[in-house]
Amino acid sequence: MITKNEIDSFIEKIPPAPNALKETMRLLSAGELIRAAKIAEGDLALKSYLKHIVNKPIYGFKNEVSDISQIFGILGVSLSQQSVHNYMVTLLSPKKWTLFKLNSKLFYELQANLSKKWEIILNNLGIDDKNIYASISLLPASILVTEALFAQKKDDINLLRTTKALDYNTVLFRLCGVTLFDICEMIAKKWEMDDSISQIVQAASGVKHSSDENINNLGKWMHLLLFYELSKPQFIEAGLNDFVDFQVEYVGDIYDDFALLMGIQ
Amino acid sequence: MRPVVKNGIATFSPQGFLDGNNTNSFLGIEDVEATIHLNVDMILVSLKKVVFFNKNGLDTFIKLFIQIRKKNHATVGFCDYDNKKYAAIRKFYQDDINFSLFKTLEIAYLFSSSFKNQSKNVLIYSSDRSQRSAIAIELHDNGHNPIVVQSQEEYDEKKEKKETFDYAIDSTFLGQMGQKIATRVTGNAIIYTISMFLDIEISDKFNIEYHSNSLNVGFRLFIFDAYKVISMNVHALNFFSKLASSAAEYNATICFVGMKFDKTPESFRNTLEDSGILFYAQMDDILGNKELLKELGASSAANVKNRRVINKETVLELPKFINAAAVTIEMMTNSKAVKESASVQNLVIENRDAKVASSIGYYGDMDGMVILIFPIGIAKKACELLIGENTDDMELILDSLAELVNIVGGKIKTLLLDEGINVNITLPRTYHDVKSLLEVIENRKGVQVDLSFNGDKFLFFLTR
Repeated sequence: MITKNEIDSFIEKIPPAPNALKETMRLLSAGELIRAAKIAEGDLALKSYLKHIVNKPIYGFKNEVSDISQIFGILGVSLSQQSVHNYMVTLLSPKKWTLFKLNSKLFYELQANLSKKWEIILNNLGIDDKNIYASISLLPASILVTEALFAQKKDDINLLRTTKALDYNTVLFRLCGVTLFDICEMIAKKWEMDDSISQIVQAASGVKHSSDENINNLGKWMHLLLFYELSKPQFIEAGLNDFVDFQVEYVGDIYDDFALLMGIQ
Repeated sequence: MRPVVKNGIATFSPQGFLDGNNTNSFLGIEDVEATIHLNVDMILVSLKKVVFFNKNGLDTFIKLFIQIRKKNHATVGFCDYDNKKYAAIRKFYQDDINFSLFKTLEIAYLFSSSFKNQSKNVLIYSSDRSQRSAIAIELHDNGHNPIVVQSQEEYDEKKEKKETFDYAIDSTFLGQMGQKIATRVTGNAIIYTISMFLDIEISDKFNIEYHSNSLNVGFRLFIFDAYKVISMNVHALNFFSKLASSAAEYNATICFVGMKFDKTPESFRNTLEDSGILFYAQMDDILGNKELLKELGASSAANVKNRRVINKETVLELPKFINAAAVTIEMMTNSKAVKESASVQNLVIENRDAKVASSIGYYGDMDGMVILIFPIGIAKKACELLIGENTDDMELILDSLAELVNIVGGKIKTLLLDEGINVNITLPRTYHDVKSLLEVIENRKGVQVDLSFNGDKFLFFLTR
């Protein structure tokens, strides 16, 4: 159904991060928001994306924010970097979604929801590390990888899933020995993202726990956050609720804190 | 969201959070329609991967349950929960529980009709005395041996002695049950338990798919345990007469045991006898009499007189059948299938050792049976995707092989539907060796296709 060669070919086709993006990231990393904004202004797709995301209701701005330097200024270094990372991930989006009933608007909404709530979680945990902030941006890449690898196998997968409730991650691992999150890690490497980003996302898969207690703890929060979002009606209808397995036991010890933070009653 | 169907149970597995806002999204109109028309014993919602639910969240599924029960008689409910979730559901619905609660899916299987999970020793405890009895009766009707304990202390104590039981049931609640007719297998006979008033609903309650499958795979003796029947009307009489006629085609025998005619017209007995149904007073009159069992056909699974031959219609669609099997195995093994030979003949299996087989029947616009025969090595490889590891556990391999042949059946159904041919598939059956397969299909002619996957050979056989 899916072979290792297909995965290699998928990874190979992923373009390296554009120079303008790399430069924007470098400057953001150095805390030079104004210079970073100037470079970002030159990338019209990035500019449009940032405007689109930041003006979503979840960010809560009363007036439309359209200037990139203004956006970076409001978001600060960590969140600006996270937003640029989010944009990089959208570069993998298909022109037309086949497997999941998604479109760019809905996908951006998922990114925005995850990012904003990840910020709330990190504030609550007292964490202020730009790479940890950025790590949430790699998580939705798992959805894009699933779409890319399984879009042509939709009928086979549906047939398989009438008999056994296997998630895409398990199917991929059993066929090829790699998980969706391993592929996300390969993408992160190709885009020269910090190692800690992919480590947290691996832990967030819920199946590959980290030996580092802190990373594992962040992975649990991210895993639960992912399923909190994927339980929203629009994402259930898009077919995302069961694309990977939810590991209830894995998040058992942080559930009460999460429920309190998100106001779940 | 569509349910997964296995062993006569359809299971939905929502993940994450269930509340009033999102549960409607799990069940689209098409999903509800498809679920209502499923021919299964039970429709359950697994709460295994649900971290949070409230009453509004469960209510949507309960509305589905009500719709299902209006259309068919499947048992409905929730499964796979811990004690906390169980207590929450009981609290939400208190005395108004019209659905069932099974602590695990494995426990639910004990209450469904299936070739498997028969004659298990089951330890039962419920604080509700009527529930204890209801669970015990249902399990007994399904051919299990219930061991009821009267107190939590006794249950905890007995639960420690794991060698004395196969399953332990607690935190389980039976809502409206017994709508489907309980089925159990004893040797080569199938026993259906019927009770109360038999009327037009018998045709909904009786799992005809299971029955057809049993006939197809070689069962020849069907016993209706009718001790608890109060009376039957003319609709039920017609149903049983038709059942007897179709059984005659396979040279099968249908018996009634313990049926009393004080509230049912004696003339019904004559009509049923005329259509070939036999009456016995006690179950032991049949099961304890080896001579009689032999005479009734229960000693040999291959006692078919009216064998049917492969017809033109089947041959025309043959490429689709082969394609469905080949594509499925290709999908499961990530390898390419090569057809080596094909001919109409009796099944010929060279080197019968270390081979397993599985079969699935189809009926509707066309009917027949597809049989796949694997060397154990390929069976293991083909099932690796379903099992997740390389295993030597034969029970697990055969179980997965049944799932695999079910996928093949599903593919056949889809491919034929593209041509406007409507068929249903029966439950799959597996055979742990070639001998037990040959007992069923001995001397039947069919189309045999030898396929090769990366040099490993496997057989496809299509017969009627």
